[in-house]
Amino acid sequence: MRHPNSKRPAPLLAALLAGALAAAQIPAPAQAQAQAQEQALSTVITPAFSPITWDRLVNAGSEPENWLMYSGTLDSQRHSLLDAVNTENVTELEMKWAYQIPVIDRAETVPLVVDGIMFITEAPSNVTAVDARTGRPYWRYDHPLPEDLRICCGRNNRGVAILGETLFMSTLDAHLVAIDARTGNLLWDTEVAEYSSGYSKTAAPLIVKDKVITGIAGGEFGIRGFIDAYDPATGELIWRTHTIPGPGEFGNDTWLGDSWATGGSATWITGSYDPELNQIYWGTGNPGPDWNGDVRLGDNLYSDSVLALNGDTGEIEWHFQFTPHDVHDYDAIQIPILADIEFGGERRNTMLWANRNGFFYTLDRATGEFLLGETYATVTWASGLDANGAPIRVPGMAPTYEGVMVSPPIVGATNWYSPAFNPDTGLFYVTSFDGEQEFFKRDEDYEEGERYTGGGGRYTQPMDAFHSAIRAIDPTTVNIAWEFPIMPRSSAGITTTAGGLLFSGSVDGYFFALDAASGEELWNISLGARVHAAPMTYAVDGEQFVTIASGNVVFSFGLRD
Amino acid sequence: MNLHSRLIASAAGCAFLSFLAQAALAEDAGNLYNTIVDIRMGERYFERQCSRCHGFDAKGNDETGAPDLTGRLTRGGSDAAIFNIIREGIPGTAMLPVAADVPDPQVWQTVAYLDSLRYDPESVSLAGDAEAGRELFWNGSDCADCHMVRGRGSRSGPDLSRIGENRSPDDLLADLVNPNESVAPRWWRLRVTGADGVAREGYRMNEDSFSLRIMDDAENLWSIPKEGLQAYERMENSTMPSYAEILSEGELDNLVAYLFSLRREEI
Repeated sequence: MRHPNSKRPAPLLAALLAGALAAAQIPAPAQAQAQAQEQALSTVITPAFSPITWDRLVNAGSEPENWLMYSGTLDSQRHSLLDAVNTENVTELEMKWAYQIPVIDRAETVPLVVDGIMFITEAPSNVTAVDARTGRPYWRYDHPLPEDLRICCGRNNRGVAILGETLFMSTLDAHLVAIDARTGNLLWDTEVAEYSSGYSKTAAPLIVKDKVITGIAGGEFGIRGFIDAYDPATGELIWRTHTIPGPGEFGNDTWLGDSWATGGSATWITGSYDPELNQIYWGTGNPGPDWNGDVRLGDNLYSDSVLALNGDTGEIEWHFQFTPHDVHDYDAIQIPILADIEFGGERRNTMLWANRNGFFYTLDRATGEFLLGETYATVTWASGLDANGAPIRVPGMAPTYEGVMVSPPIVGATNWYSPAFNPDTGLFYVTSFDGEQEFFKRDEDYEEGERYTGGGGRYTQPMDAFHSAIRAIDPTTVNIAWEFPIMPRSSAGITTTAGGLLFSGSVDGYFFALDAASGEELWNISLGARVHAAPMTYAVDGEQFVTIASGNVVFSFGLRD
Repeated sequence: MNLHSRLIASAAGCAFLSFLAQAALAEDAGNLYNTIVDIRMGERYFERQCSRCHGFDAKGNDETGAPDLTGRLTRGGSDAAIFNIIREGIPGTAMLPVAADVPDPQVWQTVAYLDSLRYDPESVSLAGDAEAGRELFWNGSDCADCHMVRGRGSRSGPDLSRIGENRSPDDLLADLVNPNESVAPRWWRLRVTGADGVAREGYRMNEDSFSLRIMDDAENLWSIPKEGLQAYERMENSTMPSYAEILSEGELDNLVAYLFSLRREEI
């Protein structure tokens, strides 16, 4: 019988052992059944979890009772095969529990669930483990932080990654920490970059085979961005791929003078991985300074791009730059959705991307080839995309000293919030925003650790005058299949399920379910505070839960008993 | 608090004390860095370091929770208090301290810039006469048909009991002559037909993604789900006419003087 206190092998050893035995692994449903039996017989109330192997992560979709990584699966589709809650019974959802995060701030967390245990990250850089059936805590890890952090946009943390029995979390002081998933004990604490120079970390890492892949934030502080791989056992850096090429490297000449050294291109949201192509896909942020491009003339590679990295070495295999020489802060900090779809009569390995710049792109993810693209929200800075997917710019849209009105506004047509792809409907779903803002340019010199943005923006209308919507996009035609309007400005992510449902939230504190095929509203509940996170779903003992963070609280819903 | 931050705090404390000492010596010696150049430097620093949350116009941002800094500051009752907030941050919030190596004068310049966004109401010279404005408001015009001041008047326009606190005389005049320039969403109008087939119209008290609430002309409050709405129309213009032609320039000045005087009694 499994017991939480029983002596177990070292977490990573266990992971490797389990990995080696993967072929003999019990199929997921049988495993769940065995677990249910075990729990019925157990004298302890809490369940225990089995170590997370790389094989389990590759096949995360086939154990939908668990949510094993930030975007659910390595392809980041955020589509769960759970269907106990479905279009027929979704109106029977009721709140099962709420977990109040003790530090008052906004919650951007997407919890993980492993065999009945949920891991919730909290602002500023903490993580707690709770019973996924009740929301009652096991343990909490508090990460000590210096008082003089350099963060642009709030004290956020979006989630953890897990391998073996170890959690990996980014912290605001630009560290990566490893935490024992059973106790909350700190296993190692690695400084990824110097926080006082403007580096910070907010995103959930991604496990790729035997490495922890993680990005960096700080695009408003003149950092030089990178994507790192760490040894999960020791926290040692294995490779670092800079998102701005250094002198002598391809693309360094796309930066005027030394501007590459302070050019930003941060990597502050989680990427995706294709095991067959062995490629890691990761988006990059704005070039710095954000709104004054005069000091960094050129295309500014690889800012506002998606990079395909070799899954073992981190070498760049291809890149696609959405917004060359960006002056509007249109980060390509979106989660790459990998989907194999019928395209032009053949099945293609595609990557689907609704960008902050207002355009939706369908790319071939093996090569980075641009296949199709179109606006999905109000766009005034570009009139369209050329045959290669490069934007056709509208003159006079760069920020000025006096201010110039541009759509999308700085926050973008979308932003970091998770989109979803539902293979049953073939539709891509994104929270989008139609807004406009005056963009200003300012002259600034780089000073280490100081903001380096070269301007800013101002709304001239109340937020309610604008428009947000969940938009469903057909990636084969890039047409909008339907939209569901919500109040502006929504920053909630999306999850879909095999129950035909789309879950999301809204700025005015609703959590809701739509019919993923038609966009019809099926259920909503007012939670009272802004939803600034993405939903996730899991099951314990066969009962499906749907979870969302609203304000400072994590809520879990299930069908009425 | 670690030793490092304790030193910063005590340094800020010293600055505070020296500020108090100077203030005690000379009546006008508040912030010593308050020339036009200082204000300009403070503005540049603000735009660079503070605008991401507080907005490029310092008017705050509901999304980040950063407050409007152009009106009454709830925490910054004095220059020294504002200085300390910038220097030390507000623990437990997104308001972080500035870097330790940012020199005090730069912080004081930022304080000077923030001060420049506000003004001492006592120092404002008004063209009009507040008493005459009061008379006009209550007896010589239709203002009170819609507005309320301290419980007297009507509910069909913004409560003006404290309107002088956050609107300058120039703002107030602009509101009177060009009311459509900026209408708060609370005073937009909605005309909706619900699932029951009944058409209702009223002020948009609140609207969210799934429902809306209005006050109709009989001052009834209605909360209506959006699902099943048969008609929805939103009017973002002001229901107040422009008084540019209705009142004389002198009357407008008097009215502005009265409205500007409307603030909490203790001030």
